[in-house]
Amino acid sequence: MKKFETWLLDRCKVANAHTLAVYKQLGGYSALAKVLKGDKPMTPAEVINEMKLSELRGRGGAGFPTGMKWTFMPDPAKDPRPRYLAINADESEPGTCKDRVLMEKDPHGLVEGALIACYAMRAQAAYIYVRGEYRLSYQRLQAAIDEARAAGLVGKNVLGTDFSCEIHMHKGAGAYICGEETGLMESLEGKRGHPRPKPPFPAAFGLWGQPTTVNNVETIFNVPTIVARGGAWHAAIGTKGSKGNFLCGISGHVERPGVYELPFGVTAREIVEEVAGGVWKGRKCKAWFPGGSSCALVKGEDLDVVLDHDSLKTKGSSLGTAAMIIIDDQTSIARVMEIIARFYDHESCGQCSQCREGTQWLSQIFHRIATGHGQADDVATIESLAKGMAPGKTICALSDAAAIPTLSAVRLFKDELLECVRAKKDPIPYPRVEYAGAH
Amino acid sequence: MTKITVNGREVEADPKKPLIAACHSNHVEVPHYCYHPGLEPVGSCRICQVEVQQGTGPARVVVACRTYPAEGMVVQTESAKAHDTRRECLEFLLKNHPLDCPICDKAGECDLQDYTYAEGQSAGRSHEPRRPLEKRKSLGDVIVLDEERCILCSRCVRFFEEVTKKPQLTVSDLGSRSTISTFADRPLTGNYQGNIADLCPVGALTLSKFRFQARVWNLVKMVSTCAECSRGCSTTVEVLRGGEVKRFRPRENMAVNKWWLCDTGRFAFGHVNAVNRLDGSGTRENLARVRELLAEDPSAMLVASPFCTQEQGAAILEFARARGVQPYFLSPAPNALKDDLLHTGDPCPNRRGLTELGFAPLAPGEIGKPRTLLLLGERSAELAGAALASAQRVVLFDCHASSSPNVAVSIGVPTHVEQSGTWINNDGQRGVLGAARQAPSQVRPLTRLLPELAALLRAQPAPR
Repeated sequence: MKKFETWLLDRCKVANAHTLAVYKQLGGYSALAKVLKGDKPMTPAEVINEMKLSELRGRGGAGFPTGMKWTFMPDPAKDPRPRYLAINADESEPGTCKDRVLMEKDPHGLVEGALIACYAMRAQAAYIYVRGEYRLSYQRLQAAIDEARAAGLVGKNVLGTDFSCEIHMHKGAGAYICGEETGLMESLEGKRGHPRPKPPFPAAFGLWGQPTTVNNVETIFNVPTIVARGGAWHAAIGTKGSKGNFLCGISGHVERPGVYELPFGVTAREIVEEVAGGVWKGRKCKAWFPGGSSCALVKGEDLDVVLDHDSLKTKGSSLGTAAMIIIDDQTSIARVMEIIARFYDHESCGQCSQCREGTQWLSQIFHRIATGHGQADDVATIESLAKGMAPGKTICALSDAAAIPTLSAVRLFKDELLECVRAKKDPIPYPRVEYAGAH
Repeated sequence: MTKITVNGREVEADPKKPLIAACHSNHVEVPHYCYHPGLEPVGSCRICQVEVQQGTGPARVVVACRTYPAEGMVVQTESAKAHDTRRECLEFLLKNHPLDCPICDKAGECDLQDYTYAEGQSAGRSHEPRRPLEKRKSLGDVIVLDEERCILCSRCVRFFEEVTKKPQLTVSDLGSRSTISTFADRPLTGNYQGNIADLCPVGALTLSKFRFQARVWNLVKMVSTCAECSRGCSTTVEVLRGGEVKRFRPRENMAVNKWWLCDTGRFAFGHVNAVNRLDGSGTRENLARVRELLAEDPSAMLVASPFCTQEQGAAILEFARARGVQPYFLSPAPNALKDDLLHTGDPCPNRRGLTELGFAPLAPGEIGKPRTLLLLGERSAELAGAALASAQRVVLFDCHASSSPNVAVSIGVPTHVEQSGTWINNDGQRGVLGAARQAPSQVRPLTRLLPELAALLRAQPAPR
């Protein structure tokens, strides 16, 4: 793998980088100072323009161009309503744990990014919705906000300028669906985290009905560096359509699972073999998820694909949150799918008929197949159920997220699933753990 | 208004109302569960899928309750794709549904039955056990919830949020474990609980008073108007085999009650179902006796029931004019049921109509001590109450007898569910009454009794 420049995890490796003093020593808040009171202070439009130039795409899974998303906020001259930034730190996609590292080790990076983003979108306040289980993230972020406020960086007249911005924290209560942007907003408002039908989109009708942009932690974390070094610098790194560095959280059957900073352009094989120490116990990779369990499975032979937004499409999958899950050749696909289907059954919010009943049904069938109680028509039923659940048949994408890995498992491993049903037992035995109830 | 094409027919549509409303107002049926015209559309049941094509874009299958009409939109509600999507959706909805239709009170008027029948879903593919949940959970005195039948359309939740503005229900838990519940299992309160049984598209919410009372296809339904207050909500009265009234249900009337009805009105069949009705036997002799009493007392007091229709009112008025007396109608004091949604607290359903005809309101306490008191119409003795005793003698035209000793003659009349007529509510809206069943044998309405009595009086003038 070629040498590459890093900026996302650099400070995480320094002791006490979560404190304001160390963060400032490492050059922290200089991007904010440059924007607000440099030799030539930047206008909000100039910040957004840099973001557009950088070609940064959202890191929450959908990969929407960030600069373009920010332009969807209505013109404040025509729409004087208050406006908000909501930062999605409810990281709960199976396999994904990248935002946690940033929030625990480098919370000021997120605070600085949030301030610049709020300035660019002229938002009065940012809300950080932190996953409830991330206690340390919550504490460190809250401490960082308090420190920053004491130092005049958050609140009224940031750095003595006219710009004022509040940052509020909110702790989630453990629902995956609250990581869906409209579910997140409902939850922030104190309601059940039921996703809202779109349109209206958050930029027109978001938090408390006001214009809102929802961004992922890693996306916002990139903002200070991009503003400091320029969008063109960022756009020079990576592949066509996927620019900059990304955090790859690799987990599953590898020797060194973890969160790694990598530039777009590396192949999955490089990540598995050079970064994560190869498939564990000298085994082979049977299949892998490129970016969390909501992406389609990719076969082990296809590890040579470049891990970026466009290349993965050629393998019928997507980058998602770049949380690779490696599955070795001694693992039963029926078992993998049983676990994944149970997750979506547990986490469906229950609004839409297809998702509420479909996720449960898939979970029940995969459970039967994996435990040797498969029926002859099960694989065909799974396929047709998943097609009935996606794409775009429900309010949010959770139904799709359950259907996509299911369809890919049927597409790639139909024979194994059929064999499992025919033999009335799982061809690959494994120790069973019985799960009682939720969490 | 925008022009759209629905199934090849160009129609006008209100761009502010969802597409499904445009379809329905043009008599194109689109299946729906969570959508209700009186509630905000949430688009969660996903059954109202239709195929929509706009401009040069490809045709897409969308939910009609969250799509708004746009100029030139081409809508196909019966396309193969739309049907396929609906069939898929129904299969999911039926997966955990108990299919206990033979013992379900909703059977026969259940949207899940109807749409499954329409889509021709004949076989299920599920090998899984159905979700076991609470079959009879009391939500208070009015409503019983069957959690297994519930398809989680959330109409009931939204009714309390949006219509009564006092949220009481919620969906609790997640995903396939979701159920409808109140906070800490507290009973529902308020005078509008019964509406959620009407709103429920399946048999999940049932009225405790209607459970196992009748198969709905055996009920004869007739248009009617609620008698409980001067709002005059439009209702249907539903009678089982010509006998007992089993239900009053709201009938859509945007000028009066929209789709709703209060529980007081909904369950006000105690009176119409009460036994020991005055029948019509001996009416001829009784009328002759009344003639004698009236001939003796030309200033006999005429007091109508506030339930008298415009037609009965006209008959009473004609009778009163011939005798040269002022007719009154009983006007009991307002009750405490008044609220800001429907109930007016005024127990006289035809106050405005009778007042316009020329009747004067009379509180029961103002009856005084007349020598002869004529009480005319349904429930007049009951409403007069203790004041009845102060008259020297009473001639009673009512549906039930009075035990008061001064009642000289009692003649049976029909109740408001047994004769057609008109009431005028407090806003001047006409409410129609239809005859949902027959009155007891030989009972004749006031509109026939009074002209007959007048004829008797004319034929044999009393000796002065």
